[in-house]
Amino acid sequence: MTDGRPSPTNDAQIVVSGLTKRYRNVLAVNNLSFTVEPGRVTGFLGPNGAGKTTTLRMLLNLVTPTAGGATIGGQRYPELADPLRHVGAVLEASSAHKGRTGINHLRVICAAAGLPRERADQALELVGLTPAAKRKFKGYSLGMKQRLGIAAAMLGDPRVLILDEPANGLDPEGIRWMRGFLKGLATEGRTVLVSSHLLSEMQLLADDVVIIAAGQLVRQGPVEQVIGSMAQGVRVRVRTPQADALTAALKDGPATVDSDGQGALLIGGVDAPTVGRAALAAGVELHELTTERPDLERVFLELTAGKAGIR
Amino acid sequence: MSNLVRSELLKIRTTSTWWWLAIGAFLSIALAFAFNAWLASETLSGGGEEFGYTGDAASAPAQAANLYTSGQYLGLMFVMLIGILMVTNEFFHQTATTTFLATPRRTSVIVSKLIAASLLGFAFWLVTTIIDLAAGATFLSLNDYGTLLGEWEVQRALLLNLMAYAIWTVLGVGIGTLITNQLGAVITASVLYLIGTQVVGLLFLLLANVLDNMAVIKWQVVWPAAASQVMITPGENEMLPAWWVGALVLVGYAVVSGVVGILITRRRDVS
Repeated sequence: MTDGRPSPTNDAQIVVSGLTKRYRNVLAVNNLSFTVEPGRVTGFLGPNGAGKTTTLRMLLNLVTPTAGGATIGGQRYPELADPLRHVGAVLEASSAHKGRTGINHLRVICAAAGLPRERADQALELVGLTPAAKRKFKGYSLGMKQRLGIAAAMLGDPRVLILDEPANGLDPEGIRWMRGFLKGLATEGRTVLVSSHLLSEMQLLADDVVIIAAGQLVRQGPVEQVIGSMAQGVRVRVRTPQADALTAALKDGPATVDSDGQGALLIGGVDAPTVGRAALAAGVELHELTTERPDLERVFLELTAGKAGIR
Repeated sequence: MSNLVRSELLKIRTTSTWWWLAIGAFLSIALAFAFNAWLASETLSGGGEEFGYTGDAASAPAQAANLYTSGQYLGLMFVMLIGILMVTNEFFHQTATTTFLATPRRTSVIVSKLIAASLLGFAFWLVTTIIDLAAGATFLSLNDYGTLLGEWEVQRALLLNLMAYAIWTVLGVGIGTLITNQLGAVITASVLYLIGTQVVGLLFLLLANVLDNMAVIKWQVVWPAAASQVMITPGENEMLPAWWVGALVLVGYAVVSGVVGILITRRRDVS
């Protein structure tokens, strides 16, 4: 991560600072601050109702913040001279006129943004939707709608991509395509911010994560670092016919021993070599000795425990 | 700004809505022209009193003006509906997000909608008028009145008709920004246009009777559809204000709804 100071050459960094949105009595987003770096895919995670969509919409000037603000490359969204050439956003899959064809949907946007008309064809080609170009939007499958949304976001060849739940409704092939596509964009040096609640997908896709719950920041950082920060979560799975002997051998150390309910032991507080050494010294026979790292899902559920749900 | 207007016109062109409304407008021209032609032939052959046409209103130029603006009554409603749909479609189909992402300066978006709407109103007027002129000139010539296009009364009717088309489309955009619910806006506006005028006329008649002052009737010009009628009606009397009063009222409504629409749209959260 950076040292927090915006660098003058960095025109694709997203900085959210003190962002707050109050709807009547509900504090949807509460003094939220985080940064998103170029060249990386950043997962924006939170339980339903955490304020993800509201945050993204405030970032894009669609919703007015109660307090605080957000900048993209140092400028607020409405200050950007050619917004679509800087930022592409996919906010909801069903945002095109149902009676309009896919290609015309894109041409309308090109006209408004002053982009050449050919960009519409190129963007459709990019997402593999050319065969459906002249089909009306109402005939699109959910996956095709998502692709059209991405095509719309790519019209201006932006350096910053913001996507709200892009994997929703995609089949496994579509999800894999999306993963490759977004990773490719990040590799090209673009900023990619993706909100999702599909944690296993995020673990495959994201370099960094920003986790929020109840409108507040819970954790931000590289995926490995966030998972590693839950060190107590690293456990050693052991399978042995002499469980009692091994438990006795470990009882003087910092280790905690639990059964996983399926005939194996889950040992926390010590690493695998320590367990192996103790077993060897005690003459205990081992059939399995594996380190179990917590995955993003477990970390997420622990971090957001009790903060999810309806407010 | 010209990019935005182009985009708005493209939005209209790439859906079938305007096509249906154009067909509706064409049918209403056909019906209205047939009726007006019958009315003109009855009136000009001396039977105008049956329909309340006496004096100037029974003259050939007045009847020609009526013929050349056939289909205006429903045509104005159709262009108003197009104006409404230009805005409410954005919310109904959730394209407002896309639109405001491409153009975060929302005032520009609404202003470009207003300009596109006026252009569209102009196009509707042009096509309507060409049809009316062809049919009307043929009808009048066949009945030995000549085309009467040199008469100021006829030219005036055509020009005011143009003004009415442009203002009602703009008014539609204004209404759309005030009532963003598609069905709500369309039904409200149609009912107010079609039925509201009769109800308002009746109310003012009652009021005039109660106050024992027929001049009160002319105040129904505050109602947009009534103002539109006043604007295109020649002459002025105790119960009928001058045409420019109607024009001012109508322009006033268009300006106020446009400005309020812009202010509301600027503040609205799009989610």
